[in-house]
Amino acid sequence: MGESRPRLEPANTEQTAFLERAMTEYGKATYNFALRLTGNEADARDLAQEAFLRVYKAWRSFQPGTSFLSWIYRIVTNLYRDELRRRKGRYWEEIPEDNAPQEFAGQRPLAVTPIDDYVDRQLGEPLSKALAHLSPDQRQVVLLADIEEYSYQEIAEIMGCSIGTVRSRLHRARALLRRLIERTQTQQQQQQ
Amino acid sequence: MSDMHLSTDLLVDFLHGELPPEDDALAHAHLQFCAACRQEYDLQVALSDALRSAAAAEECEMPSLVKAVVWERIRNAQPSRWQRLAGWLRPAVAVPVAAVIVIGGYFASPLARPSASAPTVDAAYYFAAHAQSSATAPLSEHATAPALETSMAGAPGAPPVEELEAYAATGELDAVR
Repeated sequence: MGESRPRLEPANTEQTAFLERAMTEYGKATYNFALRLTGNEADARDLAQEAFLRVYKAWRSFQPGTSFLSWIYRIVTNLYRDELRRRKGRYWEEIPEDNAPQEFAGQRPLAVTPIDDYVDRQLGEPLSKALAHLSPDQRQVVLLADIEEYSYQEIAEIMGCSIGTVRSRLHRARALLRRLIERTQTQQQQQQ
Repeated sequence: MSDMHLSTDLLVDFLHGELPPEDDALAHAHLQFCAACRQEYDLQVALSDALRSAAAAEECEMPSLVKAVVWERIRNAQPSRWQRLAGWLRPAVAVPVAAVIVIGGYFASPLARPSASAPTVDAAYYFAAHAQSSATAPLSEHATAPALETSMAGAPGAPPVEELEAYAATGELDAVR
């Protein structure tokens, strides 16, 4: 995936065992995270490979007692960001970095489109299609907050940004997903 | 908070357990009686559930190719210049090299050379002392015996030098020897 591959040292037993265990125990989670992030299998494979090579190279910097998954998600996130920067033009921050609330309280109309209907109908639809409408940063935040169930603090550490930025990105991403759901719902009703 | 509806953003934070304790309690209380906010909250919960369910449904194993490629790249890795240098610093190589450097350094340093200021005794001193002791106590056991006069030349009653030389020239002396 990336052009700059990490230099590797000759294998030693402890380092090799560390990598073997990392791939055995966290390979599935890492690959699925990469798959949801990139939206396609080829990029996900490349991203997972690069991530585990980084794990191998930087294995001494992992602090025992901390979450390995958070560590490798941070590696994946950074690699993905680097890759998107490399492929110029494909990635731009789509939302302003502010913490302004997106919607204020008021006379809220009752939701006319129950989400449960959408869930029942759309679960067969690949998640990647819905997430593909989000910017990479918004997608990462949704994955980490709603699927991996990390706290805002943990997401901020993984993504290397402030908690306010995490909050802002999540609010906007979920609002976008809702609009997407409502649009899909409307289209389906019109087709019927 | 109880008179107004809760904002969507606040409900999202409430859903993720990210509100401060006081706000969390107020939001919880508000949702007990406000149907509109409750419905919006349920919508947010359903969205999160949908994301999780879909993610679980799509979850798959990491392709074995990923692992194979990682190991292959590690096997084929070329060590960097620094890593090659570090290889030279292994004890098996570093110890002999360090020994050579230390020994060479020692011999190259002033420690290995005789110092110009080191105390020395002139040999002439011994000759002078010897001559003096011989002169004062010639028969002393520690004194060297004075050189014996082996030559007859100059001795009282000896023939003149010219005669002795002439006699030696005849070869008679050699015949006696």
